[in-house]
Amino acid sequence: MQREVGTLPLAPALRARLAAAGFQTAQELLDTGPCGLSKEIGISREEALEALQVVRQECHGDTARAAGGSGATRKCTALELLEEEQTQGFIITFCSALDNILGGGVQLTKITEICGAPGVGKTQLCMQLAVDVQIPECFGGVAGEAVFIDTEGSFMVDRVVDIAAACVQHCHLIAEAQPEEDHGKALETFSVENILSHIYCFRCRDYTELLAQVYLLPEFLAEHSKVRLVVIDGIAFPFRHDFEDLALRTRLLNGLAQQLIITANEHRAAVVLTNQMTTRIGQSQSTLVPALGESWGHAATVRLIFHWDNTQRLATLYKSPSQKESTIAYEITPHGFRDVQPPAGTASTEGTEPNPRKRPRTEEEKQQ
Amino acid sequence: MAAKKLRRAQLSQEMCERLSRYQITTCQDFLCLSLLELMKVTGQSYHEVQKLLCKVSRACAPKMQTAYEMKLRKSVNPSSAFLSTTLHSLDRVLHGGVPCGSLTEITSPPGCGKTQFCIMLSVLATLPVSMGGLDGAVIYIDTESAFSAERLIEIAANRFPAYYDSDEKLLCMTRSIHLYRELTCCSVLKRIMSLEEDIILKKVKLVIIDSVASVVRKEFDTKLQGNLAERSNFLNRGASVLKYLAEEFTIPVILTNQITTALSSGPGLRADLVSPADDLSLSEGSSVSGKRDSGYVTAALGNTWSHSVNTRLILQYHDLPTRQKRTSRYVQWHVT
Repeated sequence: MQREVGTLPLAPALRARLAAAGFQTAQELLDTGPCGLSKEIGISREEALEALQVVRQECHGDTARAAGGSGATRKCTALELLEEEQTQGFIITFCSALDNILGGGVQLTKITEICGAPGVGKTQLCMQLAVDVQIPECFGGVAGEAVFIDTEGSFMVDRVVDIAAACVQHCHLIAEAQPEEDHGKALETFSVENILSHIYCFRCRDYTELLAQVYLLPEFLAEHSKVRLVVIDGIAFPFRHDFEDLALRTRLLNGLAQQLIITANEHRAAVVLTNQMTTRIGQSQSTLVPALGESWGHAATVRLIFHWDNTQRLATLYKSPSQKESTIAYEITPHGFRDVQPPAGTASTEGTEPNPRKRPRTEEEKQQ
Repeated sequence: MAAKKLRRAQLSQEMCERLSRYQITTCQDFLCLSLLELMKVTGQSYHEVQKLLCKVSRACAPKMQTAYEMKLRKSVNPSSAFLSTTLHSLDRVLHGGVPCGSLTEITSPPGCGKTQFCIMLSVLATLPVSMGGLDGAVIYIDTESAFSAERLIEIAANRFPAYYDSDEKLLCMTRSIHLYRELTCCSVLKRIMSLEEDIILKKVKLVIIDSVASVVRKEFDTKLQGNLAERSNFLNRGASVLKYLAEEFTIPVILTNQITTALSSGPGLRADLVSPADDLSLSEGSSVSGKRDSGYVTAALGNTWSHSVNTRLILQYHDLPTRQKRTSRYVQWHVT
């Protein structure tokens, strides 16, 4: 109630008039009433009433917050957070090595950034995650939907169909090996058509459309409350050309990162971004580093860098608050993102579960 | 979309006038400002500004479609998803042919056959759909003056003698291939920007730019200060317009590139390899180990450009004795 007038979310012109008239705290405004206010500062009665309603709402919100109720700022103990984190699901990637180094998979409520050279498999992983987020809970998934924001035009529907078919088949095999009642019911709704209809795609052609889409994202997620994954494939592409003002770019990127963190937390969704690599010219040699500059490196909570070693694709966990830095190998197969297959000799000593992932593969996906 | 004027975003007239006093006329200007700045220029309260932001965002945000709808739309028109190259093994590796709606890059050492490949694809694009073509016109942007009309007719007459049996049909085909000779970066970019109207007017189904690398490398010397950024800028702008055209009209866009040698100073640079397929010396046979220290050949125009293209085809010479174990991954072809 003692809140200063200058901190209230009123129009600047109105604030200036209130300051000129000598009002200092919100309580004074409420005491004056709409008619008195309109006479003193020379605005209409309706405008005065509107202003007072805003003030009342703000102050009510303040007291509620002070009493420890719910509001924009949550207060909880670390124990509550621990319980929340332990029950939280992960979005698996179907590559067990990658899931291991990530601590279970892609975490919800966190921003994960995937950087890599062209053709290394960033979009493949994004498409794989858009399918994996929909795996029913009885199979170990989070049973959510996915939003795919594509800025580079690399989203291939046919590829998603292949990945979805392989995922459905995998679940069928699990259900056959260890039959439980909920498996049957879940499998009825878990089909390729269903998976495809729960991936919401947006094609953003430049950074304005991307900014607009991210501003509208909270509204969209409120309507589609089952969304648990937001993928922005190619956050670097729209920001890397036509930008003379680098300060503006940094500011827009920071704003985007903050929006995404808020969205991720409020809707308990995972945000996955893909970034490009750029060449940094050093004195003696040049190295490949993630694009968009140093300050963008702070935006993501978890950073994965995909790179090549001869012909083997490797993934390095570069930044993570809870897991240690490590590198694993992975493969892109016609069925999607998978582990590297061990040489044929060890494959015969497999467990009882007929896991399609362990069959040796001879083809390799060539197209980007 | 970015250049959309605010009054078309359904903001009130007085609001638009007020904003234009601060030079904010397009949606792009509006969305680039922070909330506090918007409050200052619009003179509205915090909540009002958020509502305005949503309104303007709605005006330029893209439309949502589910993956299922995209698939349905594609399955309605299956034959138009690829342009078959009539080389069966290449078509098999590419899952049908050169994909429509995305950028395909062809890169190779000089003399390998890039221009020949482009000429052949031009002929294929003019064929009717029943014969595997796209039944449309071709826009050929030639920066090296390497296009030969006589060669075009020779290929058409010899490859499809049954279809091109009369001079009249050959002439008809040549009339639908529009050749533009552009010799500077600036004119290439201007031509790319003006392609949209040409594509609609002339019913174009294939765009070829031969070659991007020659004109860019002529004008931008990357050793000079500032040129690298300018070159990247030019390439990115061209790439984004071409991507938009490819997607909007669902046509294939083919670009050709050159090979460059990247000098390396030892094993430290191994990590810089953008993609193993780019390192053509890998295929030169690992028996000659000393060869690798001096440098390796890779596609030109840098890795920013590599991010922009969707598919990359690399043509190279094939030495039969040393590379037998790699033949399964390479497609052999001859220029006849």
